[in-house]
Amino acid sequence: MVIQVILTLGLLLALLYAFVQQASTRLLRLLMAGVVGFGIYMVWFPSHTMVFARFLGVGRGADLIAYSWIVVSFLLILVLHLRTVRLKGALTELAREITLLRADSAGPHRSVD
Amino acid sequence: MSEPRPARTVEGAGGVASEAASDFYVVVAAYNEGAVIGDTVRELVRNFPSTVVVDDGSEDDTSQQAADAGATVLRHPINLGQGAALQTGMTFSLRRGAKYIATFDADGQHSPSDVHQMLEALRAAGADIVLGSRFLGEAPGIPFGRKLFLKAAILFTNITTGVKLTDTHNGLRVMTADAARKLKITQSGMAHASEFIEQIKRLRLKHLEVPVRIHYTSYSLRKGQNVSNALRILTDVFSSKVMKW
Repeated sequence: MVIQVILTLGLLLALLYAFVQQASTRLLRLLMAGVVGFGIYMVWFPSHTMVFARFLGVGRGADLIAYSWIVVSFLLILVLHLRTVRLKGALTELAREITLLRADSAGPHRSVD
Repeated sequence: MSEPRPARTVEGAGGVASEAASDFYVVVAAYNEGAVIGDTVRELVRNFPSTVVVDDGSEDDTSQQAADAGATVLRHPINLGQGAALQTGMTFSLRRGAKYIATFDADGQHSPSDVHQMLEALRAAGADIVLGSRFLGEAPGIPFGRKLFLKAAILFTNITTGVKLTDTHNGLRVMTADAARKLKITQSGMAHASEFIEQIKRLRLKHLEVPVRIHYTSYSLRKGQNVSNALRILTDVFSSKVMKW
């Protein structure tokens, strides 16, 4: 029971993180919601995991849970990557404004630094 | 916002009208090109007084060399990538009242005379942007591996952008100020070349390719595309596509 609560909380936190990120896209959020929902379902109904495991061609229910967790981790990494890309974009805009402001204040001189 | 520079007469400017000369901005992005930027700029300012070098956070004396050679130098406080440097140059040029903007490589692979021809072609066709093509023109001494890699990249870009070009990774471009205003290069790294083309398609810019000559030197070949660059381009393109889903 304890481990089920911990796993559920962990999955929900991961989902919340993915949703809160501005960089997340709609598709990513949907995927995360789907995988986390499925994960929570398996945590609370482990006997059902055998059915899904067989359907997906995986040996045991426990293996399926492990694989799902890997998928969740991968999606989280993707969210982090997109966040980094977004940050880089903002950094670029900022650096550009600094460059252009210096150019304006340097006036008719050749080199602007 | 600054006033546009007044027109200046440029003697012997190789066929470019004196008034147009100061409205024609050539943007050169440079990162650690201290060894060659001086020569590149000297050749350019002879024809194009409004030559802008964007030093992308170089660790060498690129800025000083470019300034001594006669360019207007902008300096990024940190290294951002070639795409970002070109965009900074384009934004600067537009704010200074440019009517035409060219992008030109720092390493001496391009010729100013090709820029003249591209501008003429742009005006004659009433186009928004003209792209240089080494495969329509010449690229003497191009290594076989480089050629193969480029052809693969061109095929890939043609398929993903839906635009049919013979040279998608040529840094030589000439565009109108209007086109420059519409374009927004956000890919800082090497994937900016495909971004130019994607946007040309999306913005429905009238474009054409013009044959140009690429001079390969041992210096420029050393700095050119390699496998790690190619992989980085692929991940950049992948990221930008995923962000739109």
